[in-house]
Amino acid sequence: MTKERLTKIAIVGNPNSGKTTLFNLLTGLNQKTSNFPGVTVEIKSSKLKLDSKHIEIFDLPGTYSLYPNSSEERIVIETLCNPASAYHPDIILFVADLNHIERHLLLATQIADLGIPMVFIANMVDTIPEDLVQYYESKIQNLLEVQVVSTSTRDASQLAKLKKVIIEQLDLQGHRKAKDKYFYRTTVAFQPATNYLKDVIGITNDYMANLVINHSSWLSYINEEVRVNLATKLPPDSNFIRGQINETLARYATFEPIVHKAILNDFEQHETFTQKLDKVITHKIWGPLIFLIIIVTVFQSIFSWAEVPMGIIEAIFADLGGWLVGNLPNSILTRLLVEGILPGIGGVLVFVPQIAILFFLLGLLEEFGYMSRVVYMFDQVMRGFGMNGRSMVSLISSGACAIPAIMSTRTIANKRERLITILVSPLISCSARLPIYAILVGFVVPPLTVLGFLNAQGLVFLGLYVLGVVSALGAALVFKVFIRNDEPTYLMLELPTYKKPLLKNVFYNMLAKVRTFVVEAGKVIFIISILLWFGASFGPSDRDAALAQQAIEVNNNATMSDEDKANLINTQQLETSYIGILGKKIEPVIEPLGYDWKIGIALITSFAAREVFVGTMATLYSVGQGGDEELADRTLRQKMQGALRLGSNEKLYGPATALSLLVFYVFAMQCMSTLAVTKRETQSWKWPVIQFVYMTALAYISAFAVFNIMS
Amino acid sequence: MAIQTTVDIDKLDTLADLAIGETGIVKFYDENAMTTLILNLGLLPDTAVQMVRRSPFGGAFYIRTAKQQVAIRVEEARGIFILKQ
Repeated sequence: MTKERLTKIAIVGNPNSGKTTLFNLLTGLNQKTSNFPGVTVEIKSSKLKLDSKHIEIFDLPGTYSLYPNSSEERIVIETLCNPASAYHPDIILFVADLNHIERHLLLATQIADLGIPMVFIANMVDTIPEDLVQYYESKIQNLLEVQVVSTSTRDASQLAKLKKVIIEQLDLQGHRKAKDKYFYRTTVAFQPATNYLKDVIGITNDYMANLVINHSSWLSYINEEVRVNLATKLPPDSNFIRGQINETLARYATFEPIVHKAILNDFEQHETFTQKLDKVITHKIWGPLIFLIIIVTVFQSIFSWAEVPMGIIEAIFADLGGWLVGNLPNSILTRLLVEGILPGIGGVLVFVPQIAILFFLLGLLEEFGYMSRVVYMFDQVMRGFGMNGRSMVSLISSGACAIPAIMSTRTIANKRERLITILVSPLISCSARLPIYAILVGFVVPPLTVLGFLNAQGLVFLGLYVLGVVSALGAALVFKVFIRNDEPTYLMLELPTYKKPLLKNVFYNMLAKVRTFVVEAGKVIFIISILLWFGASFGPSDRDAALAQQAIEVNNNATMSDEDKANLINTQQLETSYIGILGKKIEPVIEPLGYDWKIGIALITSFAAREVFVGTMATLYSVGQGGDEELADRTLRQKMQGALRLGSNEKLYGPATALSLLVFYVFAMQCMSTLAVTKRETQSWKWPVIQFVYMTALAYISAFAVFNIMS
Repeated sequence: MAIQTTVDIDKLDTLADLAIGETGIVKFYDENAMTTLILNLGLLPDTAVQMVRRSPFGGAFYIRTAKQQVAIRVEEARGIFILKQ
């Protein structure tokens, strides 16, 4: 089979145009997310076969114009203005919401000037009178000289029609006449620079060259030499902002006659549904209150709905481990698989239900149009902390996992605001802290009822979450002082009309987030769990004989059950392993916090991922894992309850040590995957190192203070 | 459609000066990197814009044109000059 060249099709449009709905409709579950080279923005793509032709479709981020503001929007320029890009399209599907046609035509005329063949998808026609649809259809067709397809991407029955349109476009490939109509031309003063770009980077289109001139400072494929040479070819007094404003206004003038009716200045007499709802949802008092209720409800749902699926995942991994032990030869590879790799993967997958539920609910709110109201309401508050209203969305996501949260900061245009959001997000208590809180909270307070209805342990739980939020804001204040701000910051945000959420979009968005989490967290945790397994399974060469001797003694003990014997042998093995030795070595460092070497070992093993703490403690206290999880937790708590501080009769897990440990886990950067994501998103080692150091220092000092005040 | 206006700039207010419920016609912009975004969001010269409410914690406005709602910071609104209706 000869490898035929894929025809590349990009979906382009404004935010809220129904772009992603079209992409989901065309591709279904056959989607893949890949990172755009050089910059940390993801592109969703899908390979399809239409009528025996192979195509690849990309969903480019939504943008209002080709003068972008955020790194996400910049991708549109990176792909469209670089003929050599792997994502440079052969055909553009331009999606526009006919309800807001007066805004969408601006980008449409810019795309038309790029000379890339395009189809105009006039979307959401079901909400517009038939005669108006026909009017726009013919006018836009005349204006842009492209095929116009009226449809509603929310209606799945339109799929066949859309596919037919794409096939027609594929047949037209190579038979198009050269473009001769331009909506906008730059002045002759830019001709030397335009010619230079045509010579050196193979751009043939004038408008494309104009965009490269405007954006050369950040376009990733323009190298330093070209950048410098280009600057010398520019007119000395070139004012890009002025040029962009002129261009925008000139473009509006070209289509204003068509959309004149749409931009008539009379406000509708009756209030629309959106305006009525916003009276309450963005109200001075009700607004924040409703937000609080929604967030509490969302997190409450996460915890209660995720419990059953999490139990099932844990049980599957425990059973699988048991089955493998029974069916594979007893070798070191089997042990690596069962004790290292399998729990590592299980430890990642167990959080999938919580992350899936959070992003499903956030996706619902986003699709409905609520999240932009949150950005609007809290912008001022977040600015006080050196962030942006958009940071709210990331901080909320951190309640499940910092990884997708950090990746969602890509919508924040200002570098400082984005950086601060990235640096403080991991302080918000994520799902992985929950099992640690659950084990330890009982040592701090008994399950009392206070004030008649409040559960004391529940209050401590809540306190830990609040501590996470407060410290995140506090850290942000500090970073605000130290990180320089040299970029403009803005809110300027469309508050879209409220819409009934499309479950398909919500579902696909959730899948994408879960996939990101599994891949990003998985690859790091996978490697570290193998390393930790080696560290925990092997020790200095002289220990084997001693271990064997101890094992014989244990096995000769007639009063112990076989299970207890096996657990005790496990404990002895871990104690004498390299990690066990390391745990003992760091005891002097962690003693001031109230910890012993066992906790030291658990701190080390949970460095890759916090939740490992519980499993390590179980091994150290000889609690069998697998089987009934609640029973195992209860047994672990009982054994920890009985543990004494070395050389005294004092209980080790008094309220002081337990709270010190809880506070440590609220603050400590015990997540390698997050550090890896921070490194990628900031494209430097500096910030993950700073993040690790400041969080660990905060954890150590706070834990020290808590322990010493309480004991 | 051009930015030139026959109105005396001194007689113009900014969008931030509108009281709740008041309407103005956009005439002129304080040009900066955000001006194209303002235009992109439909706050074009000669469009009517209404002040709807202030954000709960201040710092931003909820405004609307005939076609849509926009959130805008006070500083951003100060850069948009309007003729009060």
